[in-house]
Amino acid sequence: MSTVTAPRREDVRQAQAAESDRTKSENRLGLRLVAPAVVFMLLVTAWPMLQALYLSLFRYRLTAPDDREFVGIANYTTVLTDRLFWLDTWNTVLIMVVTVAVELVIGFAFAMVMHRIVFARGVIRTSILIPYGIITVVSAFAWQFAFSLNNGFVNNWLPFVDENFNWFGDHWPAMFAIMVSEIWKTTPFMALLLLAGLSQVSEDMLEAAKVDGATWWQRLWKVILPNMRAAIMVAVLFRALDAYRIFDNIFVMTKGAQETESASFLTYRQVIEQVQLGLGSALSVLLFLSVLLIAWLIVKLFKVDLAQARGEG
Amino acid sequence: MNQKTSVGTWIGFVLILGWCLLPVVWIISLSFKSAEETAAGSPQFLPKDFTLQNYADILANEDFLLALRNSFGIAAIATVLAVIFATLAAYAIARLEFRGKRVVLSMALAIAMFPVVSLVGPLFDMWRTFGLFNTWPGLIIPYMTFTLPLAIWTLSAFFREIPWEMEQAAQVDGATSWQAFRKVIVPLAAPGVFTAAILTFFFAWNEFVLAISLTSTTGSRTVPAQLSFFVGPDPFNPPYGQLATASVVVTVPIIVIVLLFQRRIVAGLTSGAVKG
Amino acid sequence: MAGALLLVSGLLAACSGDDSGTPTLIWYTNPDTGGQAAVAEECSTDRYEITTEVLPQDANQQRIQLARRLAAKDPDIDLMSIDPPFTAEFADAGYLAEIPQQMQQTFREQAFQSAAEAATWDDQLVVAPFWSNTQVLWYRKSFVDKAGIDMSQPVTWQQVIEAAGKNDGRIAVQANKYEGYSVWVNALIEGAGGQIATNTDAGVDAEIQIDSEAGREAADVISALASSDASPADLSVSNEGTAAATFSSDAGAFMVNWTFIWGNYGEDRLGDDIGFARYPRTVEGEESTPPYGGIGIGASAFSDHRDLAVEALECLTSPENQAINAELTGNMPSSAAGYEQPQVQKLFPADLIQLFQESLQDAAPRTLTPYWSDISGAIQSTWHPPSTVDEQTPEESAEFIRDVLDGRSLL
Repeated sequence: MSTVTAPRREDVRQAQAAESDRTKSENRLGLRLVAPAVVFMLLVTAWPMLQALYLSLFRYRLTAPDDREFVGIANYTTVLTDRLFWLDTWNTVLIMVVTVAVELVIGFAFAMVMHRIVFARGVIRTSILIPYGIITVVSAFAWQFAFSLNNGFVNNWLPFVDENFNWFGDHWPAMFAIMVSEIWKTTPFMALLLLAGLSQVSEDMLEAAKVDGATWWQRLWKVILPNMRAAIMVAVLFRALDAYRIFDNIFVMTKGAQETESASFLTYRQVIEQVQLGLGSALSVLLFLSVLLIAWLIVKLFKVDLAQARGEG
Repeated sequence: MNQKTSVGTWIGFVLILGWCLLPVVWIISLSFKSAEETAAGSPQFLPKDFTLQNYADILANEDFLLALRNSFGIAAIATVLAVIFATLAAYAIARLEFRGKRVVLSMALAIAMFPVVSLVGPLFDMWRTFGLFNTWPGLIIPYMTFTLPLAIWTLSAFFREIPWEMEQAAQVDGATSWQAFRKVIVPLAAPGVFTAAILTFFFAWNEFVLAISLTSTTGSRTVPAQLSFFVGPDPFNPPYGQLATASVVVTVPIIVIVLLFQRRIVAGLTSGAVKG
Repeated sequence: MAGALLLVSGLLAACSGDDSGTPTLIWYTNPDTGGQAAVAEECSTDRYEITTEVLPQDANQQRIQLARRLAAKDPDIDLMSIDPPFTAEFADAGYLAEIPQQMQQTFREQAFQSAAEAATWDDQLVVAPFWSNTQVLWYRKSFVDKAGIDMSQPVTWQQVIEAAGKNDGRIAVQANKYEGYSVWVNALIEGAGGQIATNTDAGVDAEIQIDSEAGREAADVISALASSDASPADLSVSNEGTAAATFSSDAGAFMVNWTFIWGNYGEDRLGDDIGFARYPRTVEGEESTPPYGGIGIGASAFSDHRDLAVEALECLTSPENQAINAELTGNMPSSAAGYEQPQVQKLFPADLIQLFQESLQDAAPRTLTPYWSDISGAIQSTWHPPSTVDEQTPEESAEFIRDVLDGRSLL
C-alpha cells in the first residue's frame, strides 16, 4: 500500500514553506475532516480484529464457556496442519485464479464491444450493469435453479449433457456451477474497468500501427494491451481480493458440500455454526493475513502502481 | 471501422445481451411457475401454466414486506452517512496536506479488502454489549464503514478533476478554507457524490453475511437474509417459485436505478480505479 | 453521530414494544404453515400475550440463531421451539429454564415414550414435547404389485433396494449433506441394534460406537442403494422435498419420509396409488427403529418473564393445542391424547394413524449429547456423498468424530 502517494501540488508545497500557521490550520482541518470516517473504520474493523487476535489464543466454545482455556498458538497449529483448511484454501485460490482469468478474457471482449459500438450504447451499458447490481444471493439462487436437476434448464439446453446429470452431485461440476455464478455476477465490473483503460489508448497510435501494416492481433498485443497495463492490473487486484472472499454463492448453492467450501465459508462455519470462537478466531486472523498476502503479491509481482493508475503520475 | 468488425461488434452485442439477461429472464420465468409445477420438477425454461399466484403470495407476506422496508431504510441511511463522511475525507485527501494522510489511505485500502466474515464473531459480541444487535444501526454502521473506502476512492478521484483555481480565487477574496469548500466545491462535486451514493447503495442492498449474523427478527432483517426464511407447503423444501418472485421484486429497484443512472454508474466505477 | 444512531435505535426499540402492562412472551418458532402462531394466540391470556418470531428454515441455522443469543443471555427470547438433537446442548449449557417437577411429571405421562426420551437431559425433562414426527416407508401400490413384493410383512432395506432395482423404480431418501442425512444414518445404525455414541454424560469424552457391526450394516445399506439402479439421480442432494418429487415421478417406487408428506399429494393421493408400511429393517429379523423428529418447547433461562414462560408451556403443549397445530401443519401430536382429538383422527386414514403411533413408540431419537452438532457434522463429512460409503466408512468416521471432539480436526 506504500504505492499510494498523496497528491503533490506545487501550491500546497509552497504554502507549507511560506506560512506555518496556514499549514497548521490546514493540518487541523484535514484531520477533522477525515476523523469521522477514520473513527468508524477503526471501530468496525480494527477493534474486532484485535479481539479476534486475542480470542484466537484460547480454546473457547461459546456453548461451553466453563471450558475456556488459554492455549497459546495451539489453535494456529491445529488449523495449519489440518487437511480441511488446506483443501478450502486450495479451493479458494482455484476459484480466484479461474474466475479472474476467465473474467479478464470475457471482460476484455465486452469492453472491446462497448468501446466500438456506436448504436444502442445505453442498452448495452444498462444490461451489463444488471448483473453488477443484482444481489449475489439472488444470482446464486438463479444459477442454482438453472443447474438444478429437478427444476433447471441447463441439462436440457446443453448438448452432450445427460438429462439426469446432477451438477451438485460431484466436486468439479459443483465448482463449475459456483464459478459460473461468480463470473456472471462480476464480469461487468471487470469489463467497465477495462473499458476505462481502453479509452486511454490513443487512437492515433492505433492508426499509425495500422498504416504500418500491423495486423489486428499485433495491434492488440503491441499497442492496446501494453497501454492498458495499469487498468488491467487494478482490475485484477480488485477482483482477485473480492473473489478470495467468496461466500454468498457457496452458501446458497452447495453449503460447502462436495468439498466446495471456501476459506470464508470455513471461517463462518467455525465461528458462527460451530461456535468455536477460539479456533474460528484463528481462522479469521489467517484469512485476513492471506488476503493481505495476496494483495502484496499482486502489487509486487505485477508492479501495480495504484497512484499511477489513478492518473496521479 | 470496416464491415467485418461491425459484424463482430454486432455478434458481440447480441452475446453480451444474452449473457447478462438470460439469468434474469430465467428467474422471471420461474416466478410465474406454480408451486405444484416446481415441486414435481419442472426443467423446461418457460412455465407450463402461467400463474400470478407467487406475486400474490409475496405481496401478502408481511415478513417479506418488512424485510423490504428494512433493506430500503438501512441502505438509504447507510448511503447518506457514508457519502457525507466520505466527502469530507475525500476533500481532505484530494486538497489538503496533513499528517497521517498516508495512514488514512492505507487504512481505507486495507478495509476495502477486508474479509467481512472474519469480523462477524467479534462484531456480534460488540453489538450485544452496545445494544446494537438486531437494530438498524447495527447494520448501518458496518455497511457505511465497508463502503467508505470505495466512496473515498471514487470521490477523491472526482475531486481532483474539479477546477480548484476557483477555490483559490474564493480564498483570495477572503473566504476561509471551509467557506471555499462549501460554496464553490460542493456544487461542483455533486455528480461525484451522487455516483458514490449509488455504489454505496448497491453494496448495502446486496450484503449478506452481516445481515444473517447480526439480525434476529423482522425488525431489522434485510431481504437477502429473509430469503432463507421462506416456507413452502412443506417445512423442508424452499418454495422455488416464491424465492424467484422475491428475487424479482428485490431486483426491480436495481433495474430502475440502473436505467436511470446508467451513465453515472459507469463513470463512477471507472473513475474510481482508472481516470476515465 | 454515534449518539444520533443510538437515538434512532432507541426509537425503533420503543416502537416495537407496544405493550401496555401485559407482558409479551416472544416465542421463536421453526417456520411452519401457521400452526404455532395459532397456538400462541390460543394460549394468550389476560396475564400475558404470546407472539411468535420465525427462525430460519434450516434446522442447523435455527440452532445457531438461538445458541448465539442465549450465550449472550438475551432477555428477548422467552420461549423457543427446539429440534430434538439440540435439546441436550441447550440444556447442558444452562440455557433452559427449569421445569417444576410436577409439570415434568405431567408432560412425561402425556408424551410418547420416544418424545419424552428426546426431551430429557440429565434425568430432567428440559423441554415440553409439542409435536412428534416419525418416518414410514411410503410405496406406490402399482409398483409393488408389479414387483410382486408383499408389503403386509416387514421388509428390509435390501429387499426394497432389490425390488426397485430390478423393476426400474427409484427409492427416495434424504442424503444431501445436512441433518436429514444423519437422521437416516442414525436410523440405520439403531435398526441394526447399534448406537452412534454411548456414555454421553461424559460430554466430549463420550464413547463413539459407530465403528461397529451395526455401523457396517448401515454403510452396507447406503452403499447398496447408491450403487443400485434404484438410486435417484439427485441422491446426493436429496432432501424431504426432492424425495417427494422423485416419489411422485413415473419411476417413483419407495420413499422414506416424515408424516406431513401425506398432505402433499392432494386429495387423490396420486390416484390412490400411495401405500405405507413401517420403516424398513436394517437387518433381517430385527425390528426397525424409525427416525424420531419433532419439536419440544423450551423456556429461556434468561427471559425477563421466566416464570410466566414456564407456565405457558402447559397450555402450548396441551393435547388440544397439539391437535390444532397438527390440523394446520400436518405435524403430528407428541402424545396419544393429542392423537385422540377428533380433528387429528380426520387428518389421516385410521390405519395410517395406527402406523404413526406404533412407529413413535419404537422410534429412536438421535444420540442425546451436547455435542450432537459436532457428531452429526462429522458424520455428514465422512458419509457424504453416499456413493463414497464403503465398509471403511464407519471406522473413518469414528476416528474423525474423535478428532473433532478433541479439537484436533476442523469440522
